Amino acid sequence: MKIALFGNPNTGKSTVFNLLTGLRQKIGNFPGVTVEQKSGVLHIKDASHELIDVPGVYSIYPSNREEKVVFDLLFNATESDKPQLGILVADASNLSRSLFFFSQLIDSGLPMVLVINMYDIAKKKGINIDVTALQSTFSQSPIVIMNARVGLGKERLMQAISEQLDALKVESTKVTNTLKKLSDLAGQEKEANARNTYLGTILNKVLQVKEVPVRTHPLDRWFTHPIAGYVIFASILFIIFQFVFSFAAFPMDAIELGFEWLTLWLRDILPDGPLSALICEGILPGISGVLVFIPQIGILFFFIALLEDSGYLARAVFLMDRLVRPFGLNGRSVVPLLSSMACAIPGVMATRGIPNYKERLITIFVAPLMSCSARIPVFTLLIGLVIPKMKLLGFIQLQGLVLLGLYLLGIVSALFIAWVMKLMINQEKRSYYLMEIPEFKRPLWRNIFLTVFEKIKVFTTEAGGIILAISIVLWALASYGPREQRRAAIQALKTTDTYMQGSTEEQDGLKNSVLLENSYIGIVGKGIEPMIKPIGYDWKIGIALITSFAAREVFVGSLSTIYANGGSDNDFKLSSKLKQQKNPDGTLVFTLRSGISLMVFYVYAMQCLSTLAIVKRETKSWKWPLLQVLFFGLMAYAGAWICFNI
Amino acid sequence: MLLNELKVGEQANILYISDDVFRTKLLEMGIMPGTLVTLHLKAPFKGPIAFSYQNTLLSIRNEDAQQISVDKLSLQA
Repeated sequence: MKIALFGNPNTGKSTVFNLLTGLRQKIGNFPGVTVEQKSGVLHIKDASHELIDVPGVYSIYPSNREEKVVFDLLFNATESDKPQLGILVADASNLSRSLFFFSQLIDSGLPMVLVINMYDIAKKKGINIDVTALQSTFSQSPIVIMNARVGLGKERLMQAISEQLDALKVESTKVTNTLKKLSDLAGQEKEANARNTYLGTILNKVLQVKEVPVRTHPLDRWFTHPIAGYVIFASILFIIFQFVFSFAAFPMDAIELGFEWLTLWLRDILPDGPLSALICEGILPGISGVLVFIPQIGILFFFIALLEDSGYLARAVFLMDRLVRPFGLNGRSVVPLLSSMACAIPGVMATRGIPNYKERLITIFVAPLMSCSARIPVFTLLIGLVIPKMKLLGFIQLQGLVLLGLYLLGIVSALFIAWVMKLMINQEKRSYYLMEIPEFKRPLWRNIFLTVFEKIKVFTTEAGGIILAISIVLWALASYGPREQRRAAIQALKTTDTYMQGSTEEQDGLKNSVLLENSYIGIVGKGIEPMIKPIGYDWKIGIALITSFAAREVFVGSLSTIYANGGSDNDFKLSSKLKQQKNPDGTLVFTLRSGISLMVFYVYAMQCLSTLAIVKRETKSWKWPLLQVLFFGLMAYAGAWICFNI
Repeated sequence: MLLNELKVGEQANILYISDDVFRTKLLEMGIMPGTLVTLHLKAPFKGPIAFSYQNTLLSIRNEDAQQISVDKLSLQA
């Protein structure tokens, strides 16, 4: 059986969903559309049912894409997709608003169970509900009192669901659908007015409200204060970033180290040959490259879920909305964009809270422009290479200033592109920013844990495959090449003086360098030299650019291999080697101009496979990731050209 | 007077909402002429405002609040 879970926003619907399904959740799509559908397995009396978490809305009649799925689920779904039973979670403090939606659902002919959630809080506010009277009004739908946050009422709800399901089997007489499929606004308004009047008479009988004036929570004055509000928000973000950067490093290193061990061990026990190479150099590093993102995703979502569940996030959104609106963004875009400064992957995944599709798309599109942590090794290497160590005005480090400039360039560009997109994308329908600001709550660990778990699962299972496949292809292109050409190149290398006089270690380095040069990627790198000459790069940098398409930090390792540095971990050695590199005409390869040109290239270029895979996952189409590659590639090239030539 | 012109802490009854779509949307949320609202928060730089009705604190953008005409209640102690 399919059971649908309905509710207004902020009624504790997700908490009820998590309570009923726990880890037995999966994510799919609503039939025919790209709106995400969360569903879970609910076991009642030996039978399992599918519980569908329907987006939180106030009415059956839709005003945007998300809300349309509710309407379609009831009226346009095929028999197999249609739910047979509905549960509506109502906030006891806001019973009248919940009953509006509830009575619409009843009128649609769907058998219902009504959950009155958070009654304890409502009672403290002086609200009293005559449940018996309410039950006699809605005699067909069992009413269950719950306090889902502490797990109270779960058994009663299961019992009520079970009774309704049993009743369904017996009574073949289905309730007829008396709800009109309204699509015109005037009709909708008339219907809503009539419904409110009808509910008003019911509520008069069942609801007793002691008039207690709602007070603003003292914390809210601070959280939305013109100065303190921003200071608090910045401090919270600062703390989160500290955690991401300092704590994520340990598990990330552990994952990489673990895979190095595994690789060494497998290399030992597997016979030498293409299979061993494929596993040890292609597949294992590919898997490691997927898993290595998990700590960052986990930690970031732990904090985002904490902010959301406690109620703070809504205050931050309220505070930030005005600042980012001119750029076509929503207050809800702020946390995803700032998270992208750690890593764009959780950033893109966090955009799911943005209710407006256009604003969400813009946020996803520009997120990779925020400088992520993978750019740091590239920037550090290049800054050390071409920016002199000097102080401005006696105390400002020039190198640090350049790094700051690169970050700002990313942020300013992201806002600019967002603004351009705002002008270009047409809005399907006028949308409103209507956001409830929930009361502060003690965060519920179950909710937070399930969010973190879900995000990690989505990333590994849905983006992981694409990342793995493409990284294996890239590896193959970098390790294989035309056989004859490679043999000849190695032969030629062996006759050179540097090779013959070198130590074994140096000889290995030189060999690897020649092999990469004559791999398919090397050949492409050489092929694009005419294209990258105008922005100041030679074919060696070209190869590093192509290999770092998988991930930006690969740039450093690739340069290291090409320049036969022998092991990528010696940055200082690599840096001094790069400093001496000369073009055929005797000029230096890494000058101030070509260096800055490269840095600007890395600010813009969409060099991250994993981000592309997750953008595809979140937008459900290859259109947007491909546009990102193309558009940011052009920006990178143009920006680099300007820096090199002016 | 318009909803966004209320000061923090002031109460008012809603008179009418000019935009069709917005009016219907709010109606479905239980906000209609006669609803008593209290202004609670104003975001800096003419950002969103937050008002309470029934037991909900709802935030809307400043320009949307300008669609809502209200009748301010004279202050009682």
